[in-house]
Amino acid sequence: MKEFAPLLNGWWYLLRGAGMTLLMAGAAIVPATILGVLLALAQVFGNRAARSVVVFYLFVIRGIPLLVLLTFTYYLLPLTGIDLPPFWGVVVVLALYYAAFMSEVFRAGILSLPRGQWDAARSLGMTRRQMLRIVIFPQALRLASPPFVSLCANLVKATSLVSVVGLWELTMASREIVERTLAPFQIFLGAAVIYFCICYTLALYGRYLEGRVLHGH
Amino acid sequence: MLFDPNFIARLIPALIEGAEVTVELAVLTFGICLVWGFIVALANSSHGPLAWIAGGYIQAVRNTPLLIQMYIVYFGFSMIGFGLSGFGSGLLALCIQNGGYMAEIYRGGLQSVSQRQYEAGRALGMRRLALYRIVIIPQVVARIIPPMTNQAISIIKDTSQVAAIAVMDVMKVAQVWVESSANTYDVFLGVAIIYLVLTSVATLIGRLFERRLAFAS
Repeated sequence: MKEFAPLLNGWWYLLRGAGMTLLMAGAAIVPATILGVLLALAQVFGNRAARSVVVFYLFVIRGIPLLVLLTFTYYLLPLTGIDLPPFWGVVVVLALYYAAFMSEVFRAGILSLPRGQWDAARSLGMTRRQMLRIVIFPQALRLASPPFVSLCANLVKATSLVSVVGLWELTMASREIVERTLAPFQIFLGAAVIYFCICYTLALYGRYLEGRVLHGH
Repeated sequence: MLFDPNFIARLIPALIEGAEVTVELAVLTFGICLVWGFIVALANSSHGPLAWIAGGYIQAVRNTPLLIQMYIVYFGFSMIGFGLSGFGSGLLALCIQNGGYMAEIYRGGLQSVSQRQYEAGRALGMRRLALYRIVIIPQVVARIIPPMTNQAISIIKDTSQVAAIAVMDVMKVAQVWVESSANTYDVFLGVAIIYLVLTSVATLIGRLFERRLAFAS
């Protein structure tokens, strides 16, 4: 077990990095979800102009790697004169990026409701607003919750990329320990185990939600 | 200066050279994982210890970041006497991760064919081989094309992470050019357009296959 001494010495540092990873992911998930819902609404209920704006946004985000966006935000932000701390800079990029994928999830949730739900709500004399608030949204959100959770796990994994532009979180913490101890195999494996614990927990939760969606409640 | 023609004339060949590496990595990864993912899916659907190993592999690679996997392969493997070049490490890590994702796509495709299709084939007196060749496989292929197209897009984007282990793909070339010049906007636009073109081509190829192999269902 002597080979794993660097990992035993560095585990507390790694866990602090994991705390930062979770903080970053949590800070990005909230605005990503809000923007994702708005994009989905604009695409389903918006007029032609709103729809084409959303479609273009999704095309661009789906076609460009997150790493490219993060790297160029790092280079371009100082040029634009926006004075944003690096942490919030990457949170904004993560949120803008994942909002596109969240909107797909929410849109699928809205569109997969059977036609009868709309007809029933209309035949009860509900206004469009009531229809959305009372009938459509609660069901659509329930349908969207399992893929939403797996997107959150993806976001946690994606935060590892911010280490490339110099931010400190779990991946950066493990790289720092590797530079001191020259034990890349053990340390990166340790970091992988921590990521796994976070993401697998989310995956299991997603599966639980999926079971609930499939079997009523 | 923005849109300096002299600069752009020198930039474009460099970016295209990087894009060749990106395409090479993406095509190799996709091709290898089509086979590797299928093998993993077969192992996962068997019974006994092999299924456990395949299942553990799928969960392990899906729930850890690609970047960490690349670091383990690139830095870690050389420490235990199994050194690979940057390109080789990147390719191996990309295949390790996407093999897990593709195995899940195959599994989903196989599960989506209802049991009645097997029964119907058998009722017609088909042998196992004919049953799979004529009834099952065509339906599975038609159903996995959309998720496979998405996977191809995500592979193209994921290849950008090899820049972190010093492979000269389009991302790394862009980074070098940004750092050695002041034309950040030009480089960003160039690299964004290249990724958008590559992912759009993948989408179009996917659509083409989809149209040719679609069933009236």
